[in-house]
Amino acid sequence: MRDFAQRLVAREAMGKRPFERNGRAFGRVIEKVRGPLVALTGVAGFRSLLSRALALANAEVRWLRAVHVKADGALECPAEIAQLDKEEIAKGEVALLAQLLGLLVTFIGEALTARLLEDTWPGVPVNDFDFGRKSPGKEQK
Amino acid sequence: MKRQKKIAARKSIKETASKPGKVPIRKLPTGVRGLDEIMGGGLPELSFNIITGGPGCGKTTLAHQILFANATRKKPALYFTILGEPPIKMLRYQQQYTFFDPAQLNTAIRFVNLSDVVADKDLNAVFAAIAKEVAATNPGMVAVDSFRSVGRKSVSSSGAIEVATFVQRLAEFLTSWEATTFLIGEYDQAETQSDPVFTVADGLFRLTQVAERNSVVRKLEIQKLRGQASVPGLHTIRIGDDGIQAFSRTLGLTGQRAKTFSRQRVSVGIPELDKMFGGGVFNGDSLLVAGPTGSGKSAIATQFIAAGLRTGEPGVMAIFEERPRQYARRAGNFGLDLITPQEKEKLKILYLRPLDLSVDETMVEILDAIEEVGAKRLVIDSLAGFEMALAPGFRMDFRESLYRMIGALTGAGVTILSTVEVEESFQCLDFSHYSISFLTDDIVRLRYVEIDGQLRKIMVVVKMRGANHSKDIREYIINDKGVVVISPRKTEYQGLITGIPTRTGVRPAQEEEAAPERKTTR
Repeated sequence: MRDFAQRLVAREAMGKRPFERNGRAFGRVIEKVRGPLVALTGVAGFRSLLSRALALANAEVRWLRAVHVKADGALECPAEIAQLDKEEIAKGEVALLAQLLGLLVTFIGEALTARLLEDTWPGVPVNDFDFGRKSPGKEQK
Repeated sequence: MKRQKKIAARKSIKETASKPGKVPIRKLPTGVRGLDEIMGGGLPELSFNIITGGPGCGKTTLAHQILFANATRKKPALYFTILGEPPIKMLRYQQQYTFFDPAQLNTAIRFVNLSDVVADKDLNAVFAAIAKEVAATNPGMVAVDSFRSVGRKSVSSSGAIEVATFVQRLAEFLTSWEATTFLIGEYDQAETQSDPVFTVADGLFRLTQVAERNSVVRKLEIQKLRGQASVPGLHTIRIGDDGIQAFSRTLGLTGQRAKTFSRQRVSVGIPELDKMFGGGVFNGDSLLVAGPTGSGKSAIATQFIAAGLRTGEPGVMAIFEERPRQYARRAGNFGLDLITPQEKEKLKILYLRPLDLSVDETMVEILDAIEEVGAKRLVIDSLAGFEMALAPGFRMDFRESLYRMIGALTGAGVTILSTVEVEESFQCLDFSHYSISFLTDDIVRLRYVEIDGQLRKIMVVVKMRGANHSKDIREYIINDKGVVVISPRKTEYQGLITGIPTRTGVRPAQEEEAAPERKTTR
């Protein structure tokens, strides 16, 4: 799961400026998945899922505690994030994305999660990641 | 000749021109086994339907099943969720059904959540959101779940358009977009009678579930279906791994033409009993064997099936009181092989004992088995066991359903033997407390009688429709050949059917037996 999250974050970062001072570079992948997930679950549903994923990811990446989920489901990042290096930011996004995907797998299973990802990132192979077989937290050990 | 053909062709063209054809209403498959037949062939295309019922009746499952059966990439389905079950939970549970194909998500079926629109805005905004998605997707099917929450929202909002107007607009819009539509909502029967919303609908499908003692019975009713004749009444539904299965009240037998078959005598497997019937019963007859416990009803049923198998007539046995292996073993004791015919798919023994069966689904299981082996003979052993296996709520329907099934099967030439246990009375000769003699063409009554200090068995043919039969009361025994009718045909007893006959002839001499113990004396 984490490998897949890493690949997605890396893919989205490709060709983009490595870092933007306003912190918008963080959460590109989450922002991309927000639309289809809001369509499926509603804003409130998506906010609940993302807030839970953020709470879980906080335990892995401490600076994520400063990040909040806004009413529309978008991420709100404090300006201080701009001082972090790009690896640290990517690590935070990978942790958050892995937790979000983990929750999706828990609730709707691998097949439906894969279908949603295929729609968002056409052509990305979704069959070669370890969907839900290990929790993101356990993988870290 | 050519001229005649030309005239006929011209006449045909003229008729076609003067009588334009009716608009054909394509019937879509529902994907629910049994439901197409109940609907009169399928779901009318482009219809605007409402599915109602309380929580847990299967409304969402029914809508999903229909959508998954019909949605394609070219003509996808849109499923709008409003207030109610969170979509993520709905997907979590619905994917457990075999009809749910994850590959169809977002390709053939798109789920769209409108809870925010409903919560924050009015019905105009809900309509606009639906219209926008429909215009973008061009769906063949649309479902709105739960539509009831739209109504509740409008009641609580001042200035909101009336629900009926909203539904009317939605119906017109979705029909124009050539979408078959389902609104799903928790309405009870009284509301469906009075709410003007329901007058807009072409189809109104009501689901109910009623707890009866320890079992729950789910039913489906097509309250309304424009444009085609559906099967009226309440039909049992069951929700299993494959989703919903519907069991038509008519058991799928409406519209089936009775098969023509030559009426001929068939053996019941007991030569002397065949003679009592005047050479066997007629094929396509329903034969009832009534008698007390241990009197040999199952033995007669086994011999009846075995006789059919010997003459190339496959059979089905629906048994409720013994397990198939035990049944076959007991047949083996009579020298009758019920195992090989099962292996050769000439015989199917159905063991139906769960206590929450519905009568219609049991009937469907029997009908499926009959079709599978091409059965010409059916045994139901016993009607009392059959009734016991049903959920209490279905027992009231028992006789009605049995009547339909027996009528349809015998009409198709299947010969049926049913057994029924009767309580032995020493005053009269009861046939059964089921009052099912109207279901039967032929009745054989077995009973115990006390003769010479022994409990012996007699049988009599009470009824045979359309033919004469022996009126003799015959004694029989059960030995290693099964039930065997023995002589004498003429007896020196009278009052045999009371169970305590009196001798009319001379009592044969026999040795006096000493009493086993002395009578108590004061």
